[in-house]
Amino acid sequence: MKKIEAIIKPFKLDDVKEALNGIGIKGMTISEVKGYGRQKGHKEIYRGAEYIVDFIPKVKMEIIVDSSQVDDVIETIRQAANTGKIGDGKIFVLPVEEVIRVRTGEKGEEAI
Amino acid sequence: MYGLSEMAQTTLEPQDFTGLQARRQALDAYWQQGVSGYALVRKHSEFIDHHLAASFEKIVTAEDGFALVAVGGYGRQELYPFSDIDFMLLYDPARKNELNRVVEAILYPLWDTGLEVGHAVRTPDECISHAAEDFFFRVAMLDARLIAGSVPLFAKLTEMYKTVYIEGKRQEFLDDMLIQRAKRETQYGRHTYLLEPHIKESCGGFRDIQSMVWTAQVVFGLKDLASFQEAGLLSRDELARFEQAQDYLIRIRNRLHYVSGRKNDQLYFEHQEEMAQAFGFSNQKEILAVEHFMREVYAHMQTVSVTTDLFFEHVEEVLRGEETPKTAKVLEPGIEVRHGKICLTNIAHISNNPKLFMRLFYQAAKTGMPLHFKTRKAITANLHLVDDKLRHSRRNAKLFLAILVTPKPFSILEEMLDTGFLTSYIPELAKVKSLAQHDVYHVFTVDRHLVQTINELQKLKKEESNIYAVVSAQHILFLAGLLHDVGKGYGHGHADRGADMARNLGARLGLEAEERETLDFLVRNHLFLSHTALRRDLEDEEFLMRCASKIHSPEALAMLYLLTIADARATGPTVWNDWKAALLLELYLKIALLLDRKDISEQEQTSGAELGASWIREKVSELLPEAENVNFDLFSDDYLLSFPPEVIVEHITQVKELGKQDVLFSHEQNRESWSILVMAKDRPGLLARIFGVLALHNLNVLAAKIFTWDDGTAVDAIEVSSAISESYDGQDWEAMENELHLAIKQRLGLEYRLSRKLEPLRNRPQGVQQRLAAKVTIDNQASELYSVIEVFSKDRVGILYDITKTLSDFGISVYRARIGSKADQVVDVFYVLDYDGKKIEDPDFKKELQQGLLYAVTNA
Repeated sequence: MKKIEAIIKPFKLDDVKEALNGIGIKGMTISEVKGYGRQKGHKEIYRGAEYIVDFIPKVKMEIIVDSSQVDDVIETIRQAANTGKIGDGKIFVLPVEEVIRVRTGEKGEEAI
Repeated sequence: MYGLSEMAQTTLEPQDFTGLQARRQALDAYWQQGVSGYALVRKHSEFIDHHLAASFEKIVTAEDGFALVAVGGYGRQELYPFSDIDFMLLYDPARKNELNRVVEAILYPLWDTGLEVGHAVRTPDECISHAAEDFFFRVAMLDARLIAGSVPLFAKLTEMYKTVYIEGKRQEFLDDMLIQRAKRETQYGRHTYLLEPHIKESCGGFRDIQSMVWTAQVVFGLKDLASFQEAGLLSRDELARFEQAQDYLIRIRNRLHYVSGRKNDQLYFEHQEEMAQAFGFSNQKEILAVEHFMREVYAHMQTVSVTTDLFFEHVEEVLRGEETPKTAKVLEPGIEVRHGKICLTNIAHISNNPKLFMRLFYQAAKTGMPLHFKTRKAITANLHLVDDKLRHSRRNAKLFLAILVTPKPFSILEEMLDTGFLTSYIPELAKVKSLAQHDVYHVFTVDRHLVQTINELQKLKKEESNIYAVVSAQHILFLAGLLHDVGKGYGHGHADRGADMARNLGARLGLEAEERETLDFLVRNHLFLSHTALRRDLEDEEFLMRCASKIHSPEALAMLYLLTIADARATGPTVWNDWKAALLLELYLKIALLLDRKDISEQEQTSGAELGASWIREKVSELLPEAENVNFDLFSDDYLLSFPPEVIVEHITQVKELGKQDVLFSHEQNRESWSILVMAKDRPGLLARIFGVLALHNLNVLAAKIFTWDDGTAVDAIEVSSAISESYDGQDWEAMENELHLAIKQRLGLEYRLSRKLEPLRNRPQGVQQRLAAKVTIDNQASELYSVIEVFSKDRVGILYDITKTLSDFGISVYRARIGSKADQVVDVFYVLDYDGKKIEDPDFKKELQQGLLYAVTNA
């Protein structure tokens, strides 16, 4: 089992979710995150006032999948989240040792 | 432990256990039979009384010396399914030897049944000293009730309690009560309208009811709620509404214990649907059962909250002896100030002068003083007088709108809502009164949310003062805040429906057509920015242009932006955070900058930036004569995107003339400004000379697009207006062209001419303010190729000349510039390279340049 973490642009969330639903992935965890990195924050001057935002708003998706699905999921996210511009995001794949469903105690694939 | 329970079993018969354990099922059966509210909790209390008294009487043989006393809720005979059973074993110290036996015999069987028992064992003296330390016990004693045992012992206790804590302690009692109320407010919030109201502790919950009854008991010696009417504390209507609310809350709390299966007094989100079912609500097309149910809950809690607030104000006034004030200041006929509160001079007057309603609120808004509680009561009692005539009165509407633009309209609107005036005056809002929305985002009911939006708009005035400065029609913004969700409660499409309703209301309030238009726009689109910021690519120029043309003006955008923030912040704590703020700000600024450009040049919005640079290249080659061979490498994308293809073609055609002349100059009239195009071979100081000549001819630069082609041709498109409001035809363009030629050939003494011309203007003292406003930044990150210099300062004639002259003195070439001056502020952005064609990296040079520019904008 793997955990796939994808950091994407907020407005791409619906597209990515829909694309993932299309390949049978329904469950995921989504959070609002702040990116500090190469794509620096935002500074704008409007009518004499300075507006600074020192982070870039991003969305993080976390999905646990069976190892056999990993490539599919990555490709689906990559295509759906791609705008070709800077800041489209990153995808991380992490190993998962065990998954347990709290209610039933089921483990492994059953619990995904 | 074994031995003890052994003993317990010998003192109570097994059937008694089943009796106690079965009581919940028995109560549930009562509920099914329709016994509810107070009757049900009383039955429960009697049930327990019976068992306790029975077991007590089995053990206590002697008449005197022991008494079983119920306190708190149990004392009031209000026992909910999982309530703690609070009682006290009162004993005469002389019988101390028998104490253990009695305690064990009573308590153990209760514990064995799993009942939550709160018990204490005390002598009357111990009670009195414990009450001194514990506020809650002190008030619980007010509800003390003898269940079984010694009557004289109990009488002794109540007598002592009265002497020590009630007689002559009215003010202390009230003070303690108010402190506890304030504590509860901080802990549970000031509003009855929270997503998951706590039936006991929230504002408008049982604690409020009890506090009122206790206080009336101590201060006025009243026995129960019913006597409030006789004492003149509540009118018959008020009492009826209050008792109805109380009974409803009792039913809820009863059911809530069943539904949650434990002592739980908070109406958690996940229980709300089941509760709604239990109360017989069903889903309808426009409103969910749970929303209907919660609406009733909120409405009843609101009744309790308002009634108790008014009651405590009354008590405070009585105890302060302010009931008949000696001094009163008359504000206007019929309205005066007493002890810092706005009052009706004579309560009865309101019934034949309905104009007074709005006058009262207006005076409160103007003076910042609250309305006296009797006046608030009078308003509520006379709402039937708010009729169509009053609703259509222009004079009345003017006052209402005036209230909206006072510094603190929030508390006034809140008072209007609480007294019921708001929904009487604006019946459109009646549908959203106490209307709950069953989701985890909306913490407040719709009406409360609308008033909270006003609160947030009020706060934003300070926090976003820069953006507020763009808004001239503040009353429309606040009205939109108050009305943006008025279309809720009818099913989908609340924004569109609300906009129609707001437009009608606007007509009734006598708004101008344009104001109604803006109001309609704001209500209709109040979700537009937040939806867009989250769901659209903010780098999609084409989409942003569409937003800009939809929103149309910087003022409308500023209003919509402020409304969006206020709406989100007034919705609930999870809705607004800096993450969303960042997205929304980005969207706002992008549209704002587009709108500013649009303000100046109208052609731009239609084509130009909407279409990609490559499309422009195509278009330009199409438009050019076939023989023409143009090297498109000369033009940056930025340049191509800044002009419509037709204009670029014009530039390309005109440039051939440059061989014969040093400078090409053309001008044309637009709707709001004049456009000037200057093309010349780039050379040091070119820009300064152009701006210098413009200043000589009294032209203000509104905006400028400065580009340099790769072959060194400077293309400067400048939007100007006349500083002395000369007409376009009256402007001496010919003289200007001549001087431009001379200046570029370095045959014009610009410096001395300007200084002579501007002398009379410069004698004004240069205040500190001006120096403070000025700022120069040099940024090497913003652009890959150029250093970006930003200059902020107060606007004045000739300032661009001074800036660009200084740049040229430093040997700096300007490749692109964005000139923006709004009101009296200048924000100029220059994309530059130094004399060697490099970015300005050397820190010393950077500092020197900064100082030079600051000097130029502040000291010239």
